[in-house]
Amino acid sequence: MAQKSFMYAVYEAVQHEMRQRKDMTWLFELTPAVASSPGVPVINLEKEFGRTRVNNTGIDEMWMAGATLGAGLVGTTAITYIPYQGSQIPFEMLQNHAGKLHYMSGGDATMPVVFIIEISGQSPGFGGQHSDYECDSYYAHIAGLKVVIASTPYDAKGMMVSAIRDPNPVVYLFPAGLRQLSEEVPDDQYTVPLDKAVVRTIGNDLTIVSSGAGMPSVLDAADQLQKAGMKVEAIDLRSLKPIDTETLVASVQKTKRLLTFDQSYYTLCPGAEVIARVAENVDGARYKRIAFPDAPPPASPEMFTWMRPNAGHIVAAARKLVS
Amino acid sequence: MDNRDQFTRDVTDRMSSSSTTRRTLLKGFAAAGAAISVSSKIAWADGEIGYWAKDLPPEKLIDMYSTILRIRWFDRTLADKMLGDRSFRNLIHLYCGQEAVATGVCAALNNKGPFEEIDVIYGTHRPTGHAIAKGVDMKKLAAEYNFKATGLNRGYAGEMHLADKSVGYIGADGIVGPAAVIAAGSAFAFRARGNKQVAVVFGGDGTYATAAFHSSMNNASLLKLPFIYVLENNLYHQFAHYSYSCPMKDIATAASMYRVPGYVVDGQDVMQVYNKMKDAVERARAGEGPTLIEAKTYRYYAHWGAPGATVGQMGSFGYDPQAITSWRPERELRDWLQRDPVDICRNTLISWGVIDQAKASAIEAAAKQDVKDAFEWEAKQPLCKPEDGLKNVFVEGSVAARQLG
Repeated sequence: MAQKSFMYAVYEAVQHEMRQRKDMTWLFELTPAVASSPGVPVINLEKEFGRTRVNNTGIDEMWMAGATLGAGLVGTTAITYIPYQGSQIPFEMLQNHAGKLHYMSGGDATMPVVFIIEISGQSPGFGGQHSDYECDSYYAHIAGLKVVIASTPYDAKGMMVSAIRDPNPVVYLFPAGLRQLSEEVPDDQYTVPLDKAVVRTIGNDLTIVSSGAGMPSVLDAADQLQKAGMKVEAIDLRSLKPIDTETLVASVQKTKRLLTFDQSYYTLCPGAEVIARVAENVDGARYKRIAFPDAPPPASPEMFTWMRPNAGHIVAAARKLVS
Repeated sequence: MDNRDQFTRDVTDRMSSSSTTRRTLLKGFAAAGAAISVSSKIAWADGEIGYWAKDLPPEKLIDMYSTILRIRWFDRTLADKMLGDRSFRNLIHLYCGQEAVATGVCAALNNKGPFEEIDVIYGTHRPTGHAIAKGVDMKKLAAEYNFKATGLNRGYAGEMHLADKSVGYIGADGIVGPAAVIAAGSAFAFRARGNKQVAVVFGGDGTYATAAFHSSMNNASLLKLPFIYVLENNLYHQFAHYSYSCPMKDIATAASMYRVPGYVVDGQDVMQVYNKMKDAVERARAGEGPTLIEAKTYRYYAHWGAPGATVGQMGSFGYDPQAITSWRPERELRDWLQRDPVDICRNTLISWGVIDQAKASAIEAAAKQDVKDAFEWEAKQPLCKPEDGLKNVFVEGSVAARQLG
């Protein structure tokens, strides 16, 4: 047990599984397959497992996604780490192939593969293409893919272990803004389920639902609201597909108020799905969603930080909803 | 057709000093005039060596030298600001070391005139050189780099999405690959229009591995598009050497698979870049199709920002924490500095008698002053209004502020 960063926790999970599975592969570009965290050994996947299994490709995300899928189709557990600079380029491979092949083959094809898709969303000044947070909605819409997103280093490791061991293709969204987030993470392998939301704070007044890089703002706002006397139930989705409807419904049955928080665009953001599922099952509740406007992220920090949803927005919306 | 007439004259001039056999051969071409004008390749093989910089007037050569210097000092100023000036808020992908490529390329293009007539370029995430060489105003560029409301793109672009239609700079791109296909699409439109516009894409060595490389080269060749792929091989895509993504030493050899001429040029020598680009532009305007030019060059700074650099000293010699294990050798950088594009251009012009040392110094001082003026202007410009972020999503109107709930 030691303090480990989000990034390190993911690599630790992968390193352990690669030691157990001698043919497991890892494809990466740009970001070296190296993770370090103070007080723990440096993990260098390329050095440890060699370039035959751990390959630094050219800038070719179509290859990264397609090759990983192809490796999976012949029975190899395979992962690729696609950085935010190319996170939408492999869409066809995921949407029309990985998501459909098991089904279209009548269950014949299996793909024990993980697509780590980095999402940004944290970076004023990066401009329209490098600070988006929209692909959670895109990938969650695809049938046949499990789509998960961790918000803590502990979950990051446990969910990566589950993703690797899962026989289905998993899109493991990696919020780049959380790379350095650190906490105590066990050295041993453990699993965190890929289909269960988690209640982070318990309360009766208001349910707030978010995921991934949205969670730190939610927990910050929940803390402020608790101090002001409002009892907030904060839920971390963890899985965008499937969505854990049961946990959401149980909470809103109790609070009768639901606020969703996304850095994704407003239209079809994960919160829209959350509200729809709850509304189908709970009578007499009130709803509100906070999301990034339906605009590409501007480069100017003045514009971007104003548009990016934050804890202050949550506090203000919560007060309106509970009043 | 002016260029072709010039070409014919060049050939005729050469005839007078050629051997009898060659003279006879060329007379044969002249008699069948159409043969020379249609099949320029035969004539080139027979005499013209393609050193087109020989025809450039002094003012054009001086302008090229000045452009190299303005790019150099603009980026060196940015490097120093990123290292020590907190009022400058951006991290830029610096072009230092590659100035001769953008300058030589744009010197062979039409950059002034109505948008429907000038040549267009598509740049990369390393945009300073492409922007300045095409004619973007340095004041507006500086203001955009620092996210000002009066910047080139009113603060929406920052660095990686610069665009200026007025000079045919369709824009920078933060994603590696797509621009090549999009540029070929512009060339497709030019061919449909039936005019003489040319579309150029700049791409790094990293673009070779993308699907876009194949698509752009294949379609441009099939359709004989007026498209030029300028591949700036600065040896590294981010921190990985290009040997990780290309099995050939010269990426230009890939062009032959598409039946497209592919050339390797010394990207540190603006005249070499210009010469080959001139050939490519003439070929494109004549409807003969695309060209791939691989310019061998080098990036003096790190991939992004100025880690490992020191204020007042050019180049990143120190460790870049972003590179982690993929760090380029310092000696490689010092080796490339021996063939600096500024020095090469200046020494060439002095040796040609176009300028002398004093004039060279005066041109450099003027370029530095232009850069200084640009950043002084930028410093006085207003910040963006936050709520303007809801505009420009569509041509009309604005979107709702959904972050407010």
